[in-house]
Amino acid sequence: MRNPKRIGIMSVPGRKARLAAAALLLVATTVTACGDGKDDGEKASAPKAPATIPELTKDPLTLSFIWFDWPPAKALEAFANAEYKKERPNTTIKVNTVPNANWHDAMFTQFAAHKTDFDIAILDSQHIGEAVTNGNILDLTDFVKQNIDVAAYNPYLLAAYGQFPQAETGKRDENASLYGLPLLGDTWTMIYRKDLIGDKPPQTWDQMISVAEKCQAENPGVSGLAFHQANGSDAAAVTYNTVNGVYGGNLWDAKARKINGVLNDAAGQEAMDVLVNKMKPLTAKGSGNWFIDEVNAAVAQGKACIAFNWIAASGGLLDPKQSTLGTTREQILDKLGFATLPSQKTNLVPLGGMGMHVSAYSSAANQAEALNFMKWFEQADVQKKWAAAGGVPSRTDALQSPEFLNAGPFNQVYTDSVPRMRDMWNVPEYARLVDIENTNVNAALNGAKKPKDALDDIAKEQQGVLDSSGRKGGGGL
Amino acid sequence: MSDPVPLTTDNPGQVASVPPPAPGRSRRLTDRGLAVGFISPALLLLLAMSVFPLLWALYLSFTDYSATRGGPANFIGFGNYTAILTSAQVHQRALTTLIYVIGAVGLQTVLGFGIAYLISRRTHGRGVLTTLFLVPMMLSPVVVGLFWRFMLDAQFGVINSMLGSLGLGQVEWLTRQRTALISLVVVDTWQWTPFIMLIALAGLTAVPKYLYEAASIDRASEWFRFRTITLPLVWPLLLIAVMFRAIEAFRLFDLVYILTNGGPGVSTETLSFHVYKVAFLGFNTGTASAYGILMVLVVIVLTQLYLRYLNKLKED
Repeated sequence: MRNPKRIGIMSVPGRKARLAAAALLLVATTVTACGDGKDDGEKASAPKAPATIPELTKDPLTLSFIWFDWPPAKALEAFANAEYKKERPNTTIKVNTVPNANWHDAMFTQFAAHKTDFDIAILDSQHIGEAVTNGNILDLTDFVKQNIDVAAYNPYLLAAYGQFPQAETGKRDENASLYGLPLLGDTWTMIYRKDLIGDKPPQTWDQMISVAEKCQAENPGVSGLAFHQANGSDAAAVTYNTVNGVYGGNLWDAKARKINGVLNDAAGQEAMDVLVNKMKPLTAKGSGNWFIDEVNAAVAQGKACIAFNWIAASGGLLDPKQSTLGTTREQILDKLGFATLPSQKTNLVPLGGMGMHVSAYSSAANQAEALNFMKWFEQADVQKKWAAAGGVPSRTDALQSPEFLNAGPFNQVYTDSVPRMRDMWNVPEYARLVDIENTNVNAALNGAKKPKDALDDIAKEQQGVLDSSGRKGGGGL
Repeated sequence: MSDPVPLTTDNPGQVASVPPPAPGRSRRLTDRGLAVGFISPALLLLLAMSVFPLLWALYLSFTDYSATRGGPANFIGFGNYTAILTSAQVHQRALTTLIYVIGAVGLQTVLGFGIAYLISRRTHGRGVLTTLFLVPMMLSPVVVGLFWRFMLDAQFGVINSMLGSLGLGQVEWLTRQRTALISLVVVDTWQWTPFIMLIALAGLTAVPKYLYEAASIDRASEWFRFRTITLPLVWPLLLIAVMFRAIEAFRLFDLVYILTNGGPGVSTETLSFHVYKVAFLGFNTGTASAYGILMVLVVIVLTQLYLRYLNKLKED
């Protein structure tokens, strides 16, 4: 068949004109979608919040937070709506939650779009560098000077949840800028079975391992240890960093930005050896992907002699509906004990918890409300109420108050742990650094890599990330 | 009697005349104008949702742009492409993806065709059986991943419980290097075998009955009939199903994210999962764009080769 003659075909000039119009349309769409590029360049650092709170709106307003889905998020929403509404009846608090694994992405993809559906981002302390460098959150330095009693806090807590560049462990640099205020303090607690290993918790790490070993041998079906090993979030990384700290290791030399040779020094190697060769054999089979919920489930089902978990996530262990250890809270507490982490060469414990940070892309009215909320939240009496509602405050007076200490059996553990805390890096490259550590520690724990190789790979790859700022192409591989 | 009216023509363009516009239609509105008017919304949507992002990603792939760091997108030529193509990390993920694609699609093809062959031989309950087999395909991969994650749990999963009742030991399905990848293949196979089965069933149903009748008259064996009639006639359709599945499997992300999160270590990280990490953990948008473009190119080239083979098969 010959080609049929096409009816109504465009003349060549007409066709060219339409093609040109289509191309112009595409270019116009591109230019519109991309903006003029000035906006990005001009917002290279965090914008400043006013020192005094601007006039607040009288119209109904919803103040939105973003956090991950766990009990403290629900507690915060209930607490804030009950208490803050007394001061600001026109304000409703909404805590939006996402699964823990999506937490970073959910916040930073919105930051990337320069439009957020939240006014207050609850950032992990290590996210601060990335958010500050990209200009995603407000600089609160002047606001804090004017509105917050900084002397009421342990300086390191204030620094950990707000300061950038990062403070030296245990200290706060008073000349550095603050970008956030504490919302929820946290650290690891050691959860132990009093009915299996006795009332007195082990005092050293080595002692803890031998107690767990004995308990496992004497109680078939119960594993000696339960801890975070998953390769998502910061699970396996925090576990290694904890053991690293206890055995005298360092994560990096912050001033020289050096990881290779520091993390994998003799102390670091010993910590990895202890974790993989002494602790891992005492865990349940298939526990290589366990995180917060799985560890809690093992404890609640009576399947672990000693476990490690974040204090803020431990409340559910006392719920008889979720436990096989007793039918009342008292019965459960007869069997479960909570203690600070054992020490070894040092007594360091991991710093957990999160701070509140004001989104730079929120409306002026919502930013003003957010600042007002933060000022209200950091008051002594509100911090005590927050403690009574199940939160972990950061003010020293609240930490030592009966409201806090009597609210949960693990709260004393937190108060005792505050002077012992150490954080990870809060540099902009945090997300990649923690992923490298998570995947390699997880590989070592699950037999996919030898412990020494895993640690050397972590050090080498993390150093590569820190050194790659001037590289042309391939960033992120 | 008048000459018969030709039913077809070799040159319809010359014979057919342009129908006059419907009464009431503007004289300026030609058929072409009407056609453009109708298809332009769809075209604009396609331009905005597919063509523009693709071109934009192509542009970004030659820059060091980061979506969160801001600042200008500096042109770095083929820097991202050479870094990706020479990266040992990417090679490792490519190998994992290749093993996964071959394992999953191979298993699905054998099982899917086998099931379709058995169903095609039944005369009763064929519809019900086919519908039942299609159920997994209708579920969201995230839902499938979640319930398989529970089923494969080493401590309280139903699979290990069944193995235990048979006197077999516990298997760490999701936390050991080999079993984790096998688990992914098994779960994907469970969900997508019905797709191959469906297409194979369509092919099997279309095989003319008279061929089998002729073979029966010639007293051909069952195996001979299968080898010389069934398989050659169904083969081209089956290959198309394999192609669709291979493309899908090549860009696997959801099951990995839910079941293993790429672990243990990075041993089940596929290329798509790695792109996700590059794009969203470090927000290296330029690199991630180049990575995505390379993946699209690989799929296009392989599909083209595959289609050529398919056409050759058809011509033969």
